Amino acid sequence: MRLNPIVKKDIKVQSRSMKMSWGVFSYELILALVFFLSMLIIRNRNMYSTDNIYSAMVWLYPVLAVTQFVILGIVTPVRTASSISGEKERQTFDIMMTTSMSPFSVIIGKVMTATVQSMFYVIASMPVMALCFVIGGMSWSYLFWFLAISLLISLFSASIGILCSSLCRKSISAVIMSYGFYLIFFVATALPGILYAATPRYRAYQYGTTAAPGSDPLQNLFLFLLVNPAVYLTEFFSQIMAGESVVNGLSDSIGVGQQKGLLHSVASGNTWMILSTVLFLGISFLFLWLAARRINPARKAFRKRK
Amino acid sequence: MLQIQDLCKKYGKFQAVKDLTLHIPKGDLFGFVGPNGAGKTTTIRMVCGLMPPSSGSITVNGMDTLTRRKEIKKQIGYVPDFFGVYDNLKVKEYMDFYGSMYRMGSKEIERLSGDLLELVNLADKKEVFVDTLSRGMKQRLCVARALLHNPALLILDEPNSGLDPRARVEMKELLLNLKSMGKTIVISSHILSELSEMCNSIGIMDHGNLMASGRIEDVMESVFGSNQLVITMDEGRETAMRMASEQASVKIVSAGEHEIKLSHSMTAQEISKLIGAMIANDVVVTGFHKQEGSLETLFMRVTGNDEKGGNDNASESNR
Repeated sequence: MRLNPIVKKDIKVQSRSMKMSWGVFSYELILALVFFLSMLIIRNRNMYSTDNIYSAMVWLYPVLAVTQFVILGIVTPVRTASSISGEKERQTFDIMMTTSMSPFSVIIGKVMTATVQSMFYVIASMPVMALCFVIGGMSWSYLFWFLAISLLISLFSASIGILCSSLCRKSISAVIMSYGFYLIFFVATALPGILYAATPRYRAYQYGTTAAPGSDPLQNLFLFLLVNPAVYLTEFFSQIMAGESVVNGLSDSIGVGQQKGLLHSVASGNTWMILSTVLFLGISFLFLWLAARRINPARKAFRKRK
Repeated sequence: MLQIQDLCKKYGKFQAVKDLTLHIPKGDLFGFVGPNGAGKTTTIRMVCGLMPPSSGSITVNGMDTLTRRKEIKKQIGYVPDFFGVYDNLKVKEYMDFYGSMYRMGSKEIERLSGDLLELVNLADKKEVFVDTLSRGMKQRLCVARALLHNPALLILDEPNSGLDPRARVEMKELLLNLKSMGKTIVISSHILSELSEMCNSIGIMDHGNLMASGRIEDVMESVFGSNQLVITMDEGRETAMRMASEQASVKIVSAGEHEIKLSHSMTAQEISKLIGAMIANDVVVTGFHKQEGSLETLFMRVTGNDEKGGNDNASESNR
């Protein structure tokens, strides 16, 4: 299998720049600071407690993991957002488009570069993360899940960045637009459920002033939360750390009537996590496809000729 | 080699290229001439598949550029007007990168890039970072890159802009060298004197229209007329003009203080008879010669800019 030439070139070029070294250094520094701060808080909390301090160390895992996910979520779209628009600014994009590489290969190359770089950061942070496992006594399988979620977050953020990069001429506009997309996923996906919960009809069901039907179809508005990254990560950590499902609890508390609706069946067991993962992957590939379509210089002509 | 038929490009109401029909035979070095905003770059970008035409067709070696894009990409080598570089990439790696973009094997890339860097006089710069090269070197490297997949058609958009005189001469020599190898080359430029030395055919564009195209001598003949004769004299200009206008096959094009320019269809004998008659009538003829039109005068005549002045429209409109 041939390695995508864009990945090979981009990794080589970026590895030679000081930016990469400073990036890894800053990443490690932030993690180390978060680690020591968390240790300090744990020690202070357990100072007058008879509990074993080492059992509290397991909480280093979600703290460090969330820190890393946040950094990846912030940094990855910046990298991809400047990838296509950066080529345009550098005026190398036209040359790239005259080669035998298809627009989709170009997009995949750029996303792979960003994902590989993010994973490079994650792997470089392993010594710090390993402390949670050594001191905190976490199972090593959680390390695998951490890497898998990191990969998913990197791919998802990279696909948002690359779509915005294909839509904008300037890198800075692409970066701003990427964060706008984040806002949609974090806030807009929660809005339908919040608005539904605010309706008098829902409150009437909740307080029992109105007889609830078997299930209210409008409660399925909460299903938008399937593509909410905050809910996804909360569900992931609550399952790992406490063995409880947050969305299941949410479904129970917001569920209407006999809870036979779609929301209740989706929120049970691991269905939510699996479905959510599939949706995030699907959205990522949709964004990549749209970006490839967008940068294809002949797309309008093809449409006409068809 | 390159066949363009009724090509149009519209940006909203503005028509950048209007019904362009052009044929460039194999092995030609074709000069694309025109003021800024004439539609040269737009046409070049459409030929390279970087921009879809609003209507019309472009074929390279009989293949439509829109329906057979994959094959067309292998047929065209493109050198843009501005050469962007990647920081931290060596010349050899730059060639490797573009070779892999054309899905070439590493051994093939190594062999061909070695030969091409030799051809463009950059063989000793293989291990040098691209961003440290001079502009002329970068431009030659870009030509080597465009030739890496052995395209049948090489398209250069303003390759000499911003180059110093030495780099221009080197670029000219390189292009002539490539022409002698049988490559078909399309070059757009503002430096008309260089084009006239290199190209065997030209196309003159203005406001999206192809005003004239063909072999340089044919275009010259069609624009300036078949024969132009300039007679210089010290005295007797009025007599000379009267005698010339009496000839049925002669038309006076212009008259200066000491010279008259004639458009004619006279034979050599008739010319010598006319000159002899002028001398016999006390016209002090100091010389006469056939007028050879230059590309500059041809360009000014065709685009009509000798009256309008420079047409410096926003260059963005043709991008």
